[in-house]
Amino acid sequence: MEKRRLNNGKIKVLDSLPMLIVCIAVILALYLVCFTQIASTNAMRYMIQIFLYIAMAEMWNLLSGFTGMTSLGQQLYIGLAGYSVAVATTMLHLSLGLGMAMGIGVSILVSLVLSLLLFRMEGMYYSIATWVVAEIFEKLFLNWKFVGQGSGMTIRVEPYPRIHSICIISLTICVCAIVVVYLLLRTKVGLGLNAMRDDVGAASAVGVNVFRHKLLVCVIAAAFTAAAASIFLVNKGIVYPESGFSISWTVSLIFIVVVGGSGTIGGPIVGSVIYVFLQEILARFPGWSNIILGVITILTILFLPKGIVGTLQQKLHFDIFSAKRFSYSKRK
Amino acid sequence: MSDALLRVENLHAGYGDFVAVDAVNLAVEKGEIVALIGINGAGKTTLMHTVAGLHKPTAGNVFFKGEDITALPADKIVQKGLSLVPQGGRCFQRMSVQDNLLMGSYVRSARKNAKQTLERVYELFPDLAQMKQRPAGNLSGGQRQMVAIGRALMAAPACMIFDEISLGLAPAVINDIYRKIARINEEEHTSIILIEQDIRRAQKVSDTFCIMLKGKIVLSGKSSEIDSETLKKAYFGI
Repeated sequence: MEKRRLNNGKIKVLDSLPMLIVCIAVILALYLVCFTQIASTNAMRYMIQIFLYIAMAEMWNLLSGFTGMTSLGQQLYIGLAGYSVAVATTMLHLSLGLGMAMGIGVSILVSLVLSLLLFRMEGMYYSIATWVVAEIFEKLFLNWKFVGQGSGMTIRVEPYPRIHSICIISLTICVCAIVVVYLLLRTKVGLGLNAMRDDVGAASAVGVNVFRHKLLVCVIAAAFTAAAASIFLVNKGIVYPESGFSISWTVSLIFIVVVGGSGTIGGPIVGSVIYVFLQEILARFPGWSNIILGVITILTILFLPKGIVGTLQQKLHFDIFSAKRFSYSKRK
Repeated sequence: MSDALLRVENLHAGYGDFVAVDAVNLAVEKGEIVALIGINGAGKTTLMHTVAGLHKPTAGNVFFKGEDITALPADKIVQKGLSLVPQGGRCFQRMSVQDNLLMGSYVRSARKNAKQTLERVYELFPDLAQMKQRPAGNLSGGQRQMVAIGRALMAAPACMIFDEISLGLAPAVINDIYRKIARINEEEHTSIILIEQDIRRAQKVSDTFCIMLKGKIVLSGKSSEIDSETLKKAYFGI
């Protein structure tokens, strides 16, 4: 007890200048790998998956781990982005960039409209409502002739981008997502979000505009999830209702965030790397993969409730990408 | 407009068909301590939540510093200088004590002087200065209550509402907290509304009192002029 109190006063924050330099160096190295095409096509394929999962998981973590809005409906924006890109590229013969922009735009619009409905609910009710909304959209697309009903749409991008340029786009989305989450959490808004996660009522009593904060987070999450998902689905080449609006998207994100460390920015990065490689191993046991992922998630919650990164931070007393701006800047 | 700091006029509020606050009139002068007394379910908390903008009224008006604040959202009301310390000392569990306090100066009007106010809060609650880096979830009930009071003070309020501050705390701790409240009232001339169930204590510390029963204020007046027997009868509604 006494020891813990001593340590609490001396948490090292590794987000000063050296940390920044390391981060920039890593990012530049990754860009260099993509541009020079040193890595094999196979390695690139893994990297793309990791980058996109990081972007989506950071957004889910922003919602659940930092704001306390555990959404089970992020697949809604994944599906919408997939269909938007399909309509833009295959039907209207637009470029991939315009398709992505359309996906992001549609997702932001839908999240704005849904906020009026969903923000009336809290906690578990919110989670279930987001899931229900995603299911409603799945049924809608299943019966909509324009988007090919149950058989879905193929996504044909012309000219089809080379794999290394997809890798560069994915990396850019991933870096942008992390930077946005980090900057958001370091501002006053981030402090308000953390307060809302701990106690919505008390947060509102000290003057946090709960509705506006929720709206901001939801729109950001929708936009980045849509951006990452559109690349993901372009890579797959097809989108149909059961794949685009499947709950398994959000289940993967939960796995990544829980195992990596909910409420940390480093968590989704570690979680995504683990998830992508685990998926590869589990592909050898068809039918069992979801069970194994579920068991791992449950074991993590039981024995490492803070996830890998959260536990490491606690044990080693450091904080990568600390979101705790106030305490440290005002301590001097 | 009269010069009362906070004036509640014919306020109605409820949950669905249930009327929790029924035609309440209330005035709080500057620098005054008002005790709001009543049994469980009398509507005290709902009344104060409605005043603070956390609950929407069905009819009536709330005036603060002469301005109509009835339709304002909670964050705007905090900015005007009316702070609520919620029941049970609700802290932000995973945030440190200092972050909890700094959350209190979240609104724009309070942010400029946050540093000085923080010094003031630490001066008032030296215990909190000792554990500013600890997560608020690890504190005891009394300490958490102090964090909640300090957090409300950080908004530099002209009027503070304390919702059942003594709930579930040891008598020694309650005495300590009441001494702090008296000090806040004395040094900052902050008007204070105390929601309390302990009639004797409430009568002792307050200037005026209101007794609520079934959503109505049944008795009010100067605390020093009322005998405890009448007070008790009004409290139980006999």
